Amino acid sequence: MKKLFLIIMGVMLILPMVTSAFAGGPPPKDVMKGVFISVDDTARTTEFKKSGSEGTTQLVLGESMVPADIRINKKVMVSLDKHAGENVIKSVDIMFMDLKVSKIVALLIIGLIGGLLSGFIGSGGAFVLTPAMMTLGVPGAIAVASNMCHKFPKAMVGAYKRYKYGQADIKLGLVMAVTAIIGVQIGIQIQKYILNHFGNAGSNLYVSFVFMVVLVFVGGYVLYDAYKLSKGGDETKTSKLALRMQQIKIPPMIHFKVAKITISAWVTIPVGLFTGMLAATIAVGGFIGVPGMIYVCGASAVVASATELIIAFIMGAWGSIQWGLSGLIDIRLTLLILAGSLIGVQLGALGTTYVKDYMIKLVMASTMLIVAVSRGAKIPGYLADLNLVAPVKPQLAHTLAQVSFWALVAALASAALIISVAMFRGMAQAKMEAQTEHIVSHG
Amino acid sequence: MKTGVNSFDRHMTAAAFAEAGEFDTATELLQEQKDAVKKPKKAPSPATRKKPYTGMIIFGALSLSGYAALMTHQGWVGEEFTMGGWHAAYPVVTAVIFSFIHGAFASNMLTILGIEPKNKK
Repeated sequence: MKKLFLIIMGVMLILPMVTSAFAGGPPPKDVMKGVFISVDDTARTTEFKKSGSEGTTQLVLGESMVPADIRINKKVMVSLDKHAGENVIKSVDIMFMDLKVSKIVALLIIGLIGGLLSGFIGSGGAFVLTPAMMTLGVPGAIAVASNMCHKFPKAMVGAYKRYKYGQADIKLGLVMAVTAIIGVQIGIQIQKYILNHFGNAGSNLYVSFVFMVVLVFVGGYVLYDAYKLSKGGDETKTSKLALRMQQIKIPPMIHFKVAKITISAWVTIPVGLFTGMLAATIAVGGFIGVPGMIYVCGASAVVASATELIIAFIMGAWGSIQWGLSGLIDIRLTLLILAGSLIGVQLGALGTTYVKDYMIKLVMASTMLIVAVSRGAKIPGYLADLNLVAPVKPQLAHTLAQVSFWALVAALASAALIISVAMFRGMAQAKMEAQTEHIVSHG
Repeated sequence: MKTGVNSFDRHMTAAAFAEAGEFDTATELLQEQKDAVKKPKKAPSPATRKKPYTGMIIFGALSLSGYAALMTHQGWVGEEFTMGGWHAAYPVVTAVIFSFIHGAFASNMLTILGIEPKNKK
């Protein structure tokens, strides 16, 4: 435990040196926080008091805004439209929505199920939490920031539990995390390039396209593998690709004790880089990190998913500090999600001790595939934004948005169901075995 | 009664070895006995293991009062935690502290509910 702590502290100290790496994309620029003091309807100007400063600034309402959009004496986040001129408001978001009981309950439940998934397959939660929070009325940037800040303590608790069960490979986690942070950097550069050349719609299309391709392809393969194993395949069998990768003897060779593999750093580095690139692009690096560790490096599903939690912890902590520096974390949301997810993550971690390896793969694959449907439903809209296809009819757009959201809910619900059933069945079986053993040994 | 005799016998043997200058053997003999006495305590059957009620109550109360404090001081928290800069430490550290407290509560609660990991032999 002491060793684990020292290693984590060491990494945390080194991390700030990689100054420009953000997990989950960089915090937005051109954003101001503060309170509107007054608004002049005819001149379309407002007096704005920025947080932490004494004086006020005069801001001009953007073209698409009406004076009614300005809420006086309420803490807001103002996005500026630099193209339209200095101090022109693009949009205004209320930073801290009023938390009603229904919203609190929703956050607790989403947290619990997200945590369960996270503890079981090493990733998850984030892909549904951010859209769910936005549906509840949280501004996008705040949703991402608060989510990130909840992710790393949750991953820490999950990683600790699974380390105690002897499943997490700290060394593999650290190697992957460090390379993933570099991958995030590359991912951001690609994103920036696309944003500059093809605009916001192009960027959205790119993200969704990558999301779809990766999830369908990888998810499909994991599902096929899980199916084969459930039909009585050899549990301990390592994939052919991993065996071939382990044949590569280019130094430095690294031995991973828990994962029981010895592999060249030149194999783990690309896996880590892709994880990071994907984390920067689609915000769920785990969906490539875990299959990467299983099929390319040759770790078992249980070790790979446990190790992913270490990666999530390191990257999440780094991301949280970045978002915290820009002051966008709504700690109330973070802690409310944590209330449920800390229970869920421990339950999920416990669950892995009762199930066979293919169960983890099955949950992972089904989640990935349903999430892919969710993202796929958004593609027609983005294509229309780029004028590549005819504009989507409002009715269809509404249906697609509903499909997208409910697919996420379905992904969570089905995963939670599979995990619970597998876990309770495993527990009942373990209890029966213990009883039989008791009868045999004591007559 | 039998254990009493055994223990007496063992002590006498240990004393004899000690008198003869064989301190290591004497200590070993006494150690064995200690282990024999301690063993049942070290590995109790799961049914009789004490459940961490105190832990759950203490951590649960701490966690609950933390949440209560947060909800009653929303205005202050909203201002101080979002200043940016070094204030980034506020939300990050708070999240970690809450995780320890609430995580410990959740862990104890699951144990009390009888949901425990399978012992992998």
